[in-house]
Amino acid sequence: MKTYKYLFLLIGLSMISCSDLEEEPVGLLSPTTYFTSLDKLQVAVNGAYGYMHNRFFLTRETGLTLMLRSDMVEISDPNTRQERIDHDEFTDLDDNGQTLVSWPIMYQIVAAANQAIAGAETVDADEAEINAIVAQAYFARALAYYHLVRQFGDIPYLSEPVTNVEEANNIEKTAVADVYANIIADFTFAKTWLPLTQDKRSIPSAGAASSYLASVYLTMGDYPMAYAEAKDVISKKNIYGYDLEPDFQNLFNSSVVRDSKEPIFTLDYIGDTSLGNYSTDYLVPLTGIRADNQYGSGQEGWAVTVPPLKAYTTWDDNDYRKSVSFDATGVFNGVERAYNQPPTAQELIDDADSQGGFNAVDARNKNQPYCAKYTRFRGESGGNGRASSHAYLLMRYAEVLLIAAEAANEVTPGSQEAHDWVNEVRGRARDGAAGSTPSASPADVSGLSGATFTDMVLEERRLELAFELKRWYDIARRKLGSEVFSASGLEGAKSFSEDNYLLAIPEVEQERNPNL
Amino acid sequence: MKKHKRLKKVYLLLLAFCFAFTLNAQQKTVTGTVTSETDNMPLPGVNVIVKGTTTGASTDFDGNYSINIEGSAAELSFSYIGYVSKTITIGNQSKINVALAEDVSALEEVVVVGYGARKKSDLTGAVSSVKAEELSAFPVLNAEQALQGRAAGVVVQSNNGGEPGAPINIKIRGNTSINASSSPLIVVDGFVGASMPQPNDIQSMEVLKDASATAIYGSRGSNGVVLVTTKKGKSGKLSIEINSNYATQTTGDKLDLLNADEFAAYQQLRNPSYVQGTEDTDWQELLYKTGHTQNHQFSFSGGSDNINFYASANYFEQAGVIVNSDYEKMTFLSNIDAQVTDKLKLGFNLFGSRATKNGVSTQSTGETANGGGDDVISLLVRFSPDLGIFDENGDYTVNSVGDNVDNPYAVATERVNETKSDRYRANLYANYDIIENFTFKTTFGYSTFNENVGTYIPKTLLITDGGNNGTAEINNRQSTTLLSENYLTYKTAIGKGDLTLLGGYSYQKNTTTRFSAGVQNLIDDDFSFYNLSGGDTPLIPDSSIVESEIQSQFGRINYDYDDKYLITATVRRDGASNFASNEKYAIFPSGAIGWKISNEDFLIDHETISNLKLRASYGLTGNQAIDSYQSLAKFDNINGLYGGSVVNAVVPDQAANDDLKWETSYQTNVGIDLGLFNSKISLSLDYYNIDTKDLLMEDGSQAQYLGFLTAASLRNVGEVNNQGFEISLNTRNITNDNFTWTTDFNWATNKNEFKKLLNGQDVFLNAAPSYLSLGGSTHVLREGEAIGVFYGYEYRGVYDGTNIPEGTAVFNGAVAGDALYTDVADASGNSDGLINTDDQKIIGDPNPDWTLGINNNFSYKDFDLNIFFQGVQGGEIYNLTKLQANVGDSNTTRDVLDAWSPTNTDSNIPTVSGVRRSTSRFVEDGSYIRLKNIALGYNLPANITEKLGLDNLRLSVSAQNLLTFTSYSGLDPEVSYSGSGGSSDSKANTTQGFDFGNYPTVKSVTMSLNVKF
Repeated sequence: MKTYKYLFLLIGLSMISCSDLEEEPVGLLSPTTYFTSLDKLQVAVNGAYGYMHNRFFLTRETGLTLMLRSDMVEISDPNTRQERIDHDEFTDLDDNGQTLVSWPIMYQIVAAANQAIAGAETVDADEAEINAIVAQAYFARALAYYHLVRQFGDIPYLSEPVTNVEEANNIEKTAVADVYANIIADFTFAKTWLPLTQDKRSIPSAGAASSYLASVYLTMGDYPMAYAEAKDVISKKNIYGYDLEPDFQNLFNSSVVRDSKEPIFTLDYIGDTSLGNYSTDYLVPLTGIRADNQYGSGQEGWAVTVPPLKAYTTWDDNDYRKSVSFDATGVFNGVERAYNQPPTAQELIDDADSQGGFNAVDARNKNQPYCAKYTRFRGESGGNGRASSHAYLLMRYAEVLLIAAEAANEVTPGSQEAHDWVNEVRGRARDGAAGSTPSASPADVSGLSGATFTDMVLEERRLELAFELKRWYDIARRKLGSEVFSASGLEGAKSFSEDNYLLAIPEVEQERNPNL
Repeated sequence: MKKHKRLKKVYLLLLAFCFAFTLNAQQKTVTGTVTSETDNMPLPGVNVIVKGTTTGASTDFDGNYSINIEGSAAELSFSYIGYVSKTITIGNQSKINVALAEDVSALEEVVVVGYGARKKSDLTGAVSSVKAEELSAFPVLNAEQALQGRAAGVVVQSNNGGEPGAPINIKIRGNTSINASSSPLIVVDGFVGASMPQPNDIQSMEVLKDASATAIYGSRGSNGVVLVTTKKGKSGKLSIEINSNYATQTTGDKLDLLNADEFAAYQQLRNPSYVQGTEDTDWQELLYKTGHTQNHQFSFSGGSDNINFYASANYFEQAGVIVNSDYEKMTFLSNIDAQVTDKLKLGFNLFGSRATKNGVSTQSTGETANGGGDDVISLLVRFSPDLGIFDENGDYTVNSVGDNVDNPYAVATERVNETKSDRYRANLYANYDIIENFTFKTTFGYSTFNENVGTYIPKTLLITDGGNNGTAEINNRQSTTLLSENYLTYKTAIGKGDLTLLGGYSYQKNTTTRFSAGVQNLIDDDFSFYNLSGGDTPLIPDSSIVESEIQSQFGRINYDYDDKYLITATVRRDGASNFASNEKYAIFPSGAIGWKISNEDFLIDHETISNLKLRASYGLTGNQAIDSYQSLAKFDNINGLYGGSVVNAVVPDQAANDDLKWETSYQTNVGIDLGLFNSKISLSLDYYNIDTKDLLMEDGSQAQYLGFLTAASLRNVGEVNNQGFEISLNTRNITNDNFTWTTDFNWATNKNEFKKLLNGQDVFLNAAPSYLSLGGSTHVLREGEAIGVFYGYEYRGVYDGTNIPEGTAVFNGAVAGDALYTDVADASGNSDGLINTDDQKIIGDPNPDWTLGINNNFSYKDFDLNIFFQGVQGGEIYNLTKLQANVGDSNTTRDVLDAWSPTNTDSNIPTVSGVRRSTSRFVEDGSYIRLKNIALGYNLPANITEKLGLDNLRLSVSAQNLLTFTSYSGLDPEVSYSGSGGSSDSKANTTQGFDFGNYPTVKSVTMSLNVKF
């Protein structure tokens, strides 16, 4: 009897259940079990937009690439990173550091969108409700590929989440035309299912998708479709809630831009640095003047980029947009100083070659006016000027008008409505600041046709959309390189060839997939 | 009531009287004394039993016993652990004195091995034993440290110099991994993966080194196994022991830095407008202080025939040598073993500890704070000596050169960094003899580890705080482990041989939960981290749970034929939840043979050779390199911006990796044990070769357009080889009545080499803190080279402005006073005459050529002396501290005064260039020999202790790290920077030999007292 007692004890001690060793993580986000509700679908969609606000995209690395390759921005600090200088001078190679980080971030937007699009199929809810959410993912995917295809041409195109790494790692590139077909399909889906308006312009609406469709068609050179699509947006401007902002400055004033009707799609920053690369934008300090504390102590710029002097001097002084776009003075140690101020006596003692201006204060500055669109009304900011509360305008109504005008002229050269749309933009510029007396310029255009009109509208885009990351794409799609980078160009003669319209896919990526 | 009680006592007395009376009628009494045959000393606690009855007694402290005997009883049996039992016929004797002989076979050392024990002479594997005497030879802060220099091939190092409470790393036979741990498995009293007990509670430690010994631990065996046995009670008299020691500690050295005047002059060379500050502060002097440790242990142990117990309590306290760093730990241990019946034995081990560590921030990687401003040690060098603690506004000063950082005194005293950790472990076992020599053992154990880390950065640290108005954070971790093991052991004789079979099953489950919370913008610094609602800007809280399971079957066969030929074979099959779905189970076999040549007829009576044994083993062991859930497809939350607010944002993190598996080591060991002159000299030689395959490496070959958050995936691709040779020599040089001298010597060499890396490609790593902005890499993983060799430009002297010696070159735009570097030729043998990134090469190897430990013990009458040297030859050190201080944006060492200048062209020190580069100029020989310990002990003579009523009283004074012989110019050659260079590309296994921001190693003088009664 006693023995049995002990045997029970032994068995009791040794009784531990066998396990199947399957991992069932709690609190870990598993793709197979994640998509259970509309809310969680939205959180997956948020992933794509979270990436879109990452600095590697438009508000630092990718943005710098687009600015520097254009003729409206050049390098200020001569000792800034070579990877930046290389984009400015078209000496960038397939190991360019900036391209190395902008390539993956765009594909991360794609991957997050793909995940949401695939996951939506397993969510059990009303199809319309699902589509209204997942259409944001289609929009994000199209937006990312739209940037990719314009920068790199033929690219690997993935439309589904990657489960077989080996297979996905060895795909062939997809031709530009096919990529565009997919982008159009995605934006069309987005236009179909997204609400006509959203609470915030940073959340895509049907109008945003439609505006992007117009932009895509224009880039492809499909002018009838671009014309039709842009005109459709314009005709529905009241439905979508779009109009020109009366005061051009307000578009770049972080505290009022969100009340404006003009923004169509924005990147929405909140002056936060707590998420690091995911919430900190850098366009403000990158474009600002070194040692200039006109926007506060600790808010000095880094003078990485500066517009070429000719961009300033060739711009009509009476065009209100010029004063909004540039800062020709700075405040250094409490003293205001113009970009072209002659050197002081002391400066000449310290350095006989001193040219005065901004440069005398800090060698990284050039004696040129700096971009003011981002620095002037940055809102909440972090240390060293990092972060802002800007709503960066990725698409706004003025651009839709100019798309419509450019396309209309191609469809019906010199048409009146094409002129009208440009003049609408010019008229707003003439109106100047709220309450001020309208200026005489920029005057309305009339009687232009064909190439003359096109040249005019491209110039209008260059000024209206200055520093808004549009110019390089215009140069590339209209093949303006040999002209704008010639000796008569804004930056003077630059070594440029047709090859420079596209960036090289990073070499490391080509090594990973030799099919690229 | 009272009356009632008294009445009860009377009844009891009456009853006892009656009982005694009845017995007395049939009894006689035998008395006597039991002594030891060896030294005639009385033996307390000897069991005296009337044979054939249950009547028994035990001897008292003086060896006396008294036992009542029934008339018919004929014999008395005397038994005592470690002695041969004796049976005496009583006859008419009423006084029987007995002298017991020591049991020679029991004296032969028994060594604990996995799931059992073996006579040392029967071992076929490579096992080093460290006994309690060695552990207590001098005071150590923890048991891991006591292993240093004790066992050949075992390298022990603090993670952070002399930091109070710093974890200790043990490495056995080199580095076998890159991404997984290289630390051995710790098994305490059979509990796999336990934490180390206090050194005073340890009976023995066995270090299992070769596969024959470790393969029974399967997928956790490849880094070696340390088996720890804690003290158990012995039957007999209660023994009480008190151990106390107190040590004062000082930093070994200080760096010779510039004073305020020299510093200002030095800065003005670079920047003529530099204005000298008003103070002259020696920051090292200000922050280094004399520290101390104290350790007090109280234990009592004993037992009766059937129950033994050991219990101890320990208090340890340390005040570090840097202000505001201290550590306190309380530990409790209790072991109870009960022989319930002839067949059943039960035991229960209980361990508990609470440690509190107040740390200053050191070894910063510069990832989190601005410019490494949280690293007190490096700030001592970086901070301007011409500033005081406070500026004229009463604020803490901020550096006048280089990055904006708060002064080291402010950082050390104002930052709060407190870690509280609790450990509990309970282990219950039952041992049941089913039939003779067939035993079933089952254990059930449970342990918990709770750690709470609270940090606070106050507003007073103007720079570190960065305008956050205080940052308070709490990180909590709770881990539990459940372990159940069941195994059968069967022993039988087959012919002239003995066969032992072992088979068992084990299940272990680990669970870890974490949470963290934090807040900024606090109302008051006084809240520290104890009032998170006192701030209005919460940080994103986090929590997680991670579970893992292992279930295993294991078995072992030992066959010893004629005490000459030994065969051991083991196997373990591990299934682990963290292994990927295609690779859930792993099998680890091993085999070994031994030949006791000295037992062969031709040697058995040899005069000189008393022991000669050959051993050979081969086996497979694993390393569980894969974290839980690491092989699963995963999403992650990046917390992004969308729609103008911070939102949860889930993105694909990684794809499933169904083929991820453990790393496997294929280990061969050949050894010889030799004993001469009746084992006055014993020598062990071991050679091993370990091929580790399937090393997990980050595979960047996954295209980034796949868009995963984690770009690199892990793959089992790498191979590394370790081979080495170990000598262990113990000699009893002199043994006579008054004087003994023994020497233990061990020496080990290990060579490691990468055999295979992903696609044969070099992996470049940067260990320098990110704020150094060191262009390039500090070390490289390369096929054919050892792990972690240093990488950079080879320094060749100073450029005089005109001559560029053959084979050297300078960077573009170099001027006189800049450095010359080796101009490395390209593949076709051409040098380009200019230094650029192509001219980087391997510039050093942190892996030592050999390590050494020499331990001498002398005893003369009541005095004993221990002298213990430990040494390392050939490991190089990358002096990042010096690299950091040679750029100009900080204070620096005084040798910069001798730098090249137009008036001092004879110097080998280039002018300060303002550019940080990885160069061989900062790679130094790290060889050293260190007098690790010298201890003089005195045992009070027996006649005095007896008068005091004590068993033993011992006093000792000792000194640790008293002397160090080294040419290394940094603070200490025992460096342990585990920095990460601000990126995730660096792993501790590959970051060896870097010196930066390391808490200094200390010298200490210790007084100890040991009392037994």
